[in-house]
Amino acid sequence: MTTTDAPPMLLEDTPLGKGAGGLYRRQNALTGLVGGVFLGFIGWVVSHRLLQGSNWGSDMVVTVTMVGWVLGFNIGMGTFNAPIRWMLGHDQSYEDELYAAGVTQGKSRYWKFCTDHKVVGTQYLILVMVLFGVGGTLAMMMRTQLITPHSSFLSANSYNAIVSIHGMVMIIATIIMVTGPFTNFIMPIMIGAKDMAFPRLNAMSFWVVVSAVPPLLATFFLGGVDAGWTTYAPLSVQAPAAMDAFSMTMIVFVISVTISGINTIVTILTMRAKGMTLGRMPIFTWASMVGAALSVYAMPALLITFTAMITDRVTGTSFFVAAQGGTGWLWENAFWIFGHPEVYIILIPPVGAMLEVASTFARKPLFGYKVTIAAFTAVAGLSVMVWAHHMFTTGWAPDLAGPFMVTTELISIPTGIIFLCIIGTIWRGSIWTRLPMFFVYLFLWDFIIGGVTGIYLSDVPADNFFHGDMFVTAHFHYTLLGGAMIAAVAGLCYWFPKISGKMLNERIGKTAFWIIAIAIQITYFGQFWEGFQGMPRRVAFYDPIFLHANQMTTVGAYFLMLGFLVLLYCLIDGWRHGKPAPANPWHAKSLEWKVPTPVPLVNFLVDPVVTTDPYGYGEPEPDNLSTDFPDPDRELVPTLSSDRPVTGGEVL
Amino acid sequence: MTVTTTDHGEPQKDPQDDGRSIEAVAGHHESREQRHFKERIAVWLFIGGDLVFLLMELFYWFYLRALNTNGMWRGAECSKANPCTDGLGNAITGEITKANPAYTLTIAGLTVLAAFLIWRVEIVARAQAKRGVISGSAALALLVLLGAVVVQCIQFGKLPFTTIDGSYASSFLYFMGSTLGHLLLLTFLTFALWNRGRLGKYDGGHWYQVRLSRIFAVWIAISTCVLALVMVVFA
Repeated sequence: MTTTDAPPMLLEDTPLGKGAGGLYRRQNALTGLVGGVFLGFIGWVVSHRLLQGSNWGSDMVVTVTMVGWVLGFNIGMGTFNAPIRWMLGHDQSYEDELYAAGVTQGKSRYWKFCTDHKVVGTQYLILVMVLFGVGGTLAMMMRTQLITPHSSFLSANSYNAIVSIHGMVMIIATIIMVTGPFTNFIMPIMIGAKDMAFPRLNAMSFWVVVSAVPPLLATFFLGGVDAGWTTYAPLSVQAPAAMDAFSMTMIVFVISVTISGINTIVTILTMRAKGMTLGRMPIFTWASMVGAALSVYAMPALLITFTAMITDRVTGTSFFVAAQGGTGWLWENAFWIFGHPEVYIILIPPVGAMLEVASTFARKPLFGYKVTIAAFTAVAGLSVMVWAHHMFTTGWAPDLAGPFMVTTELISIPTGIIFLCIIGTIWRGSIWTRLPMFFVYLFLWDFIIGGVTGIYLSDVPADNFFHGDMFVTAHFHYTLLGGAMIAAVAGLCYWFPKISGKMLNERIGKTAFWIIAIAIQITYFGQFWEGFQGMPRRVAFYDPIFLHANQMTTVGAYFLMLGFLVLLYCLIDGWRHGKPAPANPWHAKSLEWKVPTPVPLVNFLVDPVVTTDPYGYGEPEPDNLSTDFPDPDRELVPTLSSDRPVTGGEVL
Repeated sequence: MTVTTTDHGEPQKDPQDDGRSIEAVAGHHESREQRHFKERIAVWLFIGGDLVFLLMELFYWFYLRALNTNGMWRGAECSKANPCTDGLGNAITGEITKANPAYTLTIAGLTVLAAFLIWRVEIVARAQAKRGVISGSAALALLVLLGAVVVQCIQFGKLPFTTIDGSYASSFLYFMGSTLGHLLLLTFLTFALWNRGRLGKYDGGHWYQVRLSRIFAVWIAISTCVLALVMVVFA
């Protein structure tokens, strides 16, 4: 081992000239807001004056206003600076790029168009938490309405609007809950890269999705979207102007996710460290790549669906209106061609994150590494062939119900294999039961329930019985909340020390865990009960025979919210007052734990060369390895040679 | 995971590539070829996504055409005795006239021509031709593309139907809008090629951005031809 006397100067300490950054210096979230409001207002006035006479809230006016908002916000943020400068031939200088990466900006970079992948990952984390807060609040309002059969807490229309926006906010949040924070922050370090392949596109994907949020929330002030989260036509064609804002949200979201997906795939394919072959990539990286590939090829279906919806509503075209030659079946097909792969876009990355947790805390190599990768790929491939199982009861192509039932049941095979690989990884491991591991156990419990009930629903006869009732709601909440979201929480607790530089208070975290774990069962078993009794979904009022099941669900939901609030407190407390985290508190093997905490701007001060896979827990360790893991309540100090951060000019 | 390290010293800029570093933060060890490779994969992935979009467009067209709900694909069954309804609730008493294929085919032809011209820009840039030749070829491609956009706008004004005249009209107009969107994107790229060529950015073998534009232009030409074929043959 050799070391240099003085480590090289960190890039983030580079002094920049006064002009570095150009326009970026003057742009931030505030200028974005001003730009969005300004262009949105211009769009509102112009479209009203030129196109619609006195109707300020027409479809055309709302659509043009929303387009103005999105463009104005992104112009104000600086999203288009680099492409415009490139077109004009005024390329950004190296100093401009350093400024854009956040050099010399301190914490203000979190409010700016920052190209550092770690900043973008943190920004995504905050956004996801805000979205979950909004979606969770809406869920509480729904459950409060349903605590009695004829509650007057919400009107029927308000209830329908809240159901729709709750659904879509949660879908958006869950799609980006892992690919946003962890694929951005962690994945590049995991593969030994210094950033994402396209840092500007990375920042663009974040700020574009931010610009989609206000139109979504504006729907409440535009009459509400009362057509459910799937917004089936023709109901959605007839919905108030809120549907235009909703459609704009989805279009902008598609653009963001597609950009992000392409960036992820290119990063993984082209920026891996020397020696990191595809067969040595951490499983989370594989999961990110499969999820990204699925999103790049599923999102265009959603794009055409919502653009056609806007043209139907704004210009009077006839894609979905049967009276004029369209058909609602077209909407259903196109929506679910996106909609079922979307489930796996949500699910695969968190499962990958959770597998990292399982291997680390079981101190065992990942069980069935190659099989898991094959299963991810099989799930992704099959997911594009199952969409019509959402349409068994619509009357569309009854002859295809059988084949779609078979493909849907087939997908349970690779899903089951992934499940077995998680269990195989934990099986007979030397389990170190820290907070992230608790959530792995909870995932296993919840996902088996969500998965098995999904097999019931894939059967045409059972689906005909359960379709449209609360059984379906319970199934997908077990899958998406109990499964995907809990796996994401496991990943969050696991990587929190690397992201924040602080340790979580495990006592508070475990309190949150137990409340969440129990509340999930109360809430969604309540919904299964409602479903078995035959209670339909999306109703604001119900027959008193469903009262007890609904009360159970509502009480469970309040506790669930409480559990997540405690978890949020745990995160905030950890971030502000947590003990400083060592570089590798979990003694994990993958590359992100080999860099210092906080992670330097370029991640690796020296280029790593990978020589083994990331799960060598069974391999002999150096002589000075201590096998007793530190007590979580005392200060953690890295003591192992393999845990020590890699620093400049050093050869291990 | 066992790692070893290699010391590459201070972060460096590519001395031959002043100000064009895309690896914003690192700014370190990537050659132009490596960056070209990354960007080429990104372009192909984008084209893959766009291909799905194209396939979905075709699905819309053929599905609505095959279903012909209420006889309103083109309203062949509509008559005074049995009128159909347009998007405003007015009666349609006859078949909707097909769009003039001349415009559609002209736009497709111009797009193909533009793609060939952009290809020529790549060839001359790779041959390290003078900047006037590079920017001249790009200017020609830009003019052709602008011509295609103008023809598209004229076609909008000359259509024998409007958005409310059934699903054929809807699908036709959607295809036109999609083609126009793609043409505008390509026009942006071609304008940049011309301007950057004029400023000497592609001198001395810096041709990789031109190549990416060419790949995208060829894809646009193919997708425009496919849409045009469907609009003309399967009306």
